[in-house]
Amino acid sequence: MDAFRRLPGVGKRSAERLVLHLLSAPEGEAHQLSEAIATARARITTCSQCRNLTETNPCGICTDSRRDASIICVVEQPAGAMAIEKGGMYRGLYHVLHGVLNPLEGVGPTELRLERLYTRLDGGTVEEVVVATNATAEGEATALYLSRQLGQRNVRVTRIAHGVPMGSGLEFSDEATLSHAMEGRTPLG
Amino acid sequence: MWLTQLTCRRFRCLDEIDFTPGPGLNIIHGDNAQGKTSLLEAFLYVCTARSHRTLHERELVSHGDDGFSITAVAQRSDREVTLEAHYWQRAKRFKINGVAQTRISDILGRINTVFFSPEDVGLIKGSATQRRRFLDMEISQINPRYLVALQQYRQILKQRNSLLKQHRPDPTMLDVWDAQLVPSGETVMRERDAFVRALSVRATEAYARIAADEELALAYAPDLEDPASFAATLEQARETDIRRKQTTRGPHRDDISIVIAGKPARIFGSQGQQKSAALALKLAEIELIHDQAGEYPILMLDEVLAELDAHRAQHLFESLADKVQCLVTTTERELTEKIGGRPYRRYQMTRGRLEAQ
Ligand SMILES: Nc1ncnc2c1ncn2[C@@H]1O[C@H](COP(=O)(O)OP(=O)(O)O)[C@@H](O)[C@H]1O
Ligand SMILES: [Mg+2]
Ligand SMILES: [Zn+2]
Repeated sequence: MDAFRRLPGVGKRSAERLVLHLLSAPEGEAHQLSEAIATARARITTCSQCRNLTETNPCGICTDSRRDASIICVVEQPAGAMAIEKGGMYRGLYHVLHGVLNPLEGVGPTELRLERLYTRLDGGTVEEVVVATNATAEGEATALYLSRQLGQRNVRVTRIAHGVPMGSGLEFSDEATLSHAMEGRTPLG
Repeated sequence: MWLTQLTCRRFRCLDEIDFTPGPGLNIIHGDNAQGKTSLLEAFLYVCTARSHRTLHERELVSHGDDGFSITAVAQRSDREVTLEAHYWQRAKRFKINGVAQTRISDILGRINTVFFSPEDVGLIKGSATQRRRFLDMEISQINPRYLVALQQYRQILKQRNSLLKQHRPDPTMLDVWDAQLVPSGETVMRERDAFVRALSVRATEAYARIAADEELALAYAPDLEDPASFAATLEQARETDIRRKQTTRGPHRDDISIVIAGKPARIFGSQGQQKSAALALKLAEIELIHDQAGEYPILMLDEVLAELDAHRAQHLFESLADKVQCLVTTTERELTEKIGGRPYRRYQMTRGRLEAQ
């Protein structure tokens, strides 16, 4: 039960229902689920270019020649990239940080492996980096830090317009708001 | 505005309370440790998401229970407002008129209250921390934007301090957190300045009515003279901050200066002066909320009558006349002189049970 409760969006009641369902369902069903989770987990890696979660390396987006390689959108988590993909408007590439600058939790530039992002800019193809971190204090600080660091690298750094509600993550904003946020991005720094 | 109904379940020693006060003066009588303060605390909590006695909701739950709930219904001039607070297994939930809320800043100010207890003399003779807490609570109640800025400021300050604890903090990182800290800090300072200015006029008037021959003067005593200088001040203080491993300048060091008859009341005020000043501050707050919200708040007086002599008590009820709903707790049986013969509703609190009389 505790294992389920650790999942995002699962409270005590849902965890109870899930456990009861799995325990009373035919044995095969529970096994199927546990296998599906295990194989998916074994297949999923992080893309060596954008650090998004993927089954192939590099990922489908990084290898898609129809995507615009001159623009990279930086998000906190894979869920953020997924939310923007659902919006369907954005045609560039991504970079997933897997976090934000957060001194209280010991997360600095090294922990975010920002050098991986900087390396991607060395090729000279990238003209714009859109920072789509959340509108929290930490998300804003990360955006500003990136603009300082990338400013020296001859790329344009922009910030998505925050129609995204204050203090909330990209995952929670609806698709229309997100497309709008992408269009209304502004120069940073 | 006035409270028409308050229900609490399993809140401290109050197992089941249904309180329906009248619009004017309500006196809750009872011996010590019967639950009088808890009743006011429950009302304060549902209006502000804060208790005046603790920061931990767990302590508010009746011993041996898992949670509590409180509902308050108030009549405002043009509408009725219902606030609910539910605490269950460490999760708190708030509703306004039945709709779930996620932000504390949306809850505050729906029902305005002023709470006055003998401990409030600490506003005069206590530490700056107490006065900042007073500022923060009271401004948040009339200005939700203030609370948003304050919460941001506190979070960013924690991050910056944690960065300063690191060995040789990265200057660019400090720049970045400074840039976040400045706008929220400036808002906090400007709003505090405006609030204390307005409060000070009202407090001086109120004090003059209580103690005719002396003058009370309040002033915002910010750490920084000019909010616009915050960015530059942080930059100048950076070396010191790195050495001391904390943010040494900013509104988290603010205070209010309180002067009676030309002398700082904290140090030189007599007990009587300090009590009168605390009362004047609360009366000023009532008027200020009236100015800004267009309606009088609900006043809670917890055991204050015992502390006030007949003269001050009469003055208090006179100045509130019939415009403010008062919820008054007391252990005293004989109150006629203090309330100046005004009509009132009387309740008796015995071992967590409330009875109208
Ligand atoms: N969480 C709790 N559960 C049950 N009783 C409590 C709790 N917290 C405090 N009490 C008890 O509630 C009683 C009433 O407290 P209080 O409201 O301060 O009384 P009064 O203001 O009438 O003097 C006290 O005896 C105290 O021990
Ligand atoms: Mg009490
Ligand atoms: Zn990729």
